Amino acid sequence: MRPIALGAWALCLALPALAAGLPEDAAVDPAAAIKTLSPKVVVNSGRLEWEPYRRDLTAWPTLSHLDRRSTIRPQQAAYSEPLNGDAARGRAIAMDPARGNCIACHTLPGEDWPGSVGLLLLGYKRQGHTNAYVYQQIYDRRVLNPNTVMPPFGAFGVLSDQDIRDLVAYVQSLD
Amino acid sequence: MQRRALLLSTLCAGLALAQDSGVYRDMDLPVEKYEPHVKGDMTLSATYPLWKDRNRLDWRLAGNPEENWKLNWKFMDPPFNNTIHGGHFALDRGERLYKSLNRDGRFAACLGATKGRLKGLRTRYPMYRQDLGQVAGLEAVIEHCASAQGVVLQHGSYDNSAVSLYVARFSQGMPMRIDVSKGPMREAFERGRQLFHTKAGRLNFACSSCHTRNVGQQVRGSAITTPYGDVVHYPVYRTQYQLQSLHLRMIECNLDAGVQPLLPGSQAYTDLEVFLSALSNGYPVSVPAERN
Repeated sequence: MRPIALGAWALCLALPALAAGLPEDAAVDPAAAIKTLSPKVVVNSGRLEWEPYRRDLTAWPTLSHLDRRSTIRPQQAAYSEPLNGDAARGRAIAMDPARGNCIACHTLPGEDWPGSVGLLLLGYKRQGHTNAYVYQQIYDRRVLNPNTVMPPFGAFGVLSDQDIRDLVAYVQSLD
Repeated sequence: MQRRALLLSTLCAGLALAQDSGVYRDMDLPVEKYEPHVKGDMTLSATYPLWKDRNRLDWRLAGNPEENWKLNWKFMDPPFNNTIHGGHFALDRGERLYKSLNRDGRFAACLGATKGRLKGLRTRYPMYRQDLGQVAGLEAVIEHCASAQGVVLQHGSYDNSAVSLYVARFSQGMPMRIDVSKGPMREAFERGRQLFHTKAGRLNFACSSCHTRNVGQQVRGSAITTPYGDVVHYPVYRTQYQLQSLHLRMIECNLDAGVQPLLPGSQAYTDLEVFLSALSNGYPVSVPAERN
């Protein structure tokens, strides 16, 4: 009895995974090192050209109805003291559009054109949060607020453990 | 024993159906209702009165970089924007291509024009096409009708968008009027509405994360705009790009938000096109327009 029941459950869990690949309607070059393509419009041509995008985005789910890959679920971070973060490195990550890009949404000191979508981070240190809380916030904010718009930088593999430690050191230094 | 296994697999099927075959997605909640009419913006950004009439845009707002987003960028459409730009050259190109494809009137008929008249045709797209058995946008139909004559006009290509622009020009000043109240169009609108709130990609953003939840807020140097009244100036001449169809714009949105893009004409983009076009119902077409 148990093997059959377990078999049924296993099959049921495995079905989506079996079909889990890039959807057919994704704009990709499967043979290229960077698979993600960006369109290139050629004047006076009836054909649309494509060129490699600067980053491969195929690892994460698309908007395609054919995409059977699940989004990574909210993840509790495994944080341990000591912090061992470098605030200067953290600042560089926060300002870098290819890495943290925190400045796109948050207002941070000493930078023009900040964003206003996220929490104002001026004087963040004075809010007195623990390092563990701030780490979780950056690692995967969905654990703290299921409806957040903040990207789960750690859970999605966008930033490394050390990157996040550096960012925690940086925002915890803002007074 | 077997009954229990059957029961479990039935449960499993039920569970899979409930969660769309077990594929997990984060949704940006609540999935708003949205009115299939441009005036629905009154419950979102409430800037609609400022850009409702393109002939009466406040030039003081247009000239103020901190406030011009409130005009929903309509100051880059005609008649406020009366400069000659790449969109005008595309319009000329579109006219030549259209006339060469339509020598015998077949092309116009295929696009759905009555008695060869293009007037108002743009305002009815996307529509359900019985012959194609699906909902399709104007650019998808242009590709289809050209290929019936052995001419390649790929969705998103310059020439396809040029023809689309030429067709749209005949609806200048006419309000969008697509019907999403029933049938396949209603289903497409509903899928588009859900997709607009579905998070995807490297950063787990949904369209609505910004364009519903944070309209008017700043992302770096840019203010976030409302999704209402936005499709009526496509295909658009982009000063940093080229002629851009709506589906190519979605690809750019996807790439900017860290989401693997889809091919032009994909089901998901068409659903989003239906959704966004319904949010422009009642708002007049104005081409050729320009955007940064």
